[in-house]
Amino acid sequence: MDINLLKKLIKMVEQSEITDFSVQEGDLKVKISKNTHNAANFSFQTPIEYSRPMVQSNAAIPIVESPSVEIKRETKSDLHEVKSPIVGTFYRAPAPDADPYVEVGDSIATGTVLCIVEAMKLLNEIESDVNGKIVKILVENATPVEYGQPLFLIDTK
Amino acid sequence: MFNIEEFDIKLDTDFIGRNFIYSDEVDSTNSLLLTKKDFNIDGTVLLAEFQRSGRGRKNRTWISNAGQNLTFSILLINEIKENKANHINLGASLAVAQALENLYQLNVELKWPNDVLVSKKKISGILIESSSKGSKINRLVVGIGINVNQPNFPGKFEIQPTSIRKEFKSTVSREKLLSEILNNFEIIYYQLKKNATKILNDWRNRCKLIGEKIKIVEEDKILNGVFEDIDEDGFLLLKVGNKIEKIYFGDVSLR
Repeated sequence: MDINLLKKLIKMVEQSEITDFSVQEGDLKVKISKNTHNAANFSFQTPIEYSRPMVQSNAAIPIVESPSVEIKRETKSDLHEVKSPIVGTFYRAPAPDADPYVEVGDSIATGTVLCIVEAMKLLNEIESDVNGKIVKILVENATPVEYGQPLFLIDTK
Repeated sequence: MFNIEEFDIKLDTDFIGRNFIYSDEVDSTNSLLLTKKDFNIDGTVLLAEFQRSGRGRKNRTWISNAGQNLTFSILLINEIKENKANHINLGASLAVAQALENLYQLNVELKWPNDVLVSKKKISGILIESSSKGSKINRLVVGIGINVNQPNFPGKFEIQPTSIRKEFKSTVSREKLLSEILNNFEIIYYQLKKNATKILNDWRNRCKLIGEKIKIVEEDKILNGVFEDIDEDGFLLLKVGNKIEKIYFGDVSLR
């Protein structure tokens, strides 16, 4: 069979709704099958497996959770999420022995510093972009955070 | 005394250092530029002859004799995309390295993420601080300390320090050095805005630890592996067994 014909057949099957196709010419039998269930064959495997970055083992400041009742009462639209602008490690205080910038229940204004996220030798202070009250701190001190990961819930009512 | 005229003659930038503030003594040039919001000119450079509380990561101190060295910060207030901040981090150390090569032909080595070494000793340290509102970084300061004309460094250090004077065997003009660094930094900054590939490669070429067995120390945790490379965001890729770990911070040294 002409290789070009074979290519054409494959392309035709590829672009159609047909999942299985076979043709016989003399003693040559060609079977083209689109196994749609076996999608894994076509997915790319990431060549590099990233694991979690180094984490400070002694988390000095424990995460403070607000009572869950309080959260349920809030409607979602009143709660503003502050997200991390960078990948790095989340710190609630300016230094290991210092007090946290904010606690649950604190009233804050636009520009209040909430935390630091560090990556490489870059310390990024995250300021609140709204006025409100801290309802929940979503990440534990000294743990890694991803880009765009929510860090704080702020009630803006 | 720092001669501003001599510095100004050599400065060849569009905006970096065009607004120049000279100060005898401050707590920290980084803190002042980051927190005082009335500094609002992009590219402002604040030079202090002495910092009362100059610092590095983890509140480590940066001690520098008054009037002999360079301690300064560069303010960037244009909106900075998240991964660009890491590029600026590497780019700043490259700007210092190039200045030391161009002016004094020193054999410079870069240590991840942004230490500048000569003869395996630390000649410059950089600390970047930024602030973001919502999810955007809106102010970023690049704090650079360079040991210039300090003759000796009594005391104990994690990495032995050195100065240009010790390596070049002569005192040098701080004014000329500062302008050369700022000139380089602006070129790098413009390049990074377009494409980071060249800057990342220039950085790689000066990092002697890529391919070596290293250890990364952070607090009481030690991670051993092979320094594979840096990724496109500037993070260190450490090969531990068959796995690659992405490293965000820590002190890197040869194993």
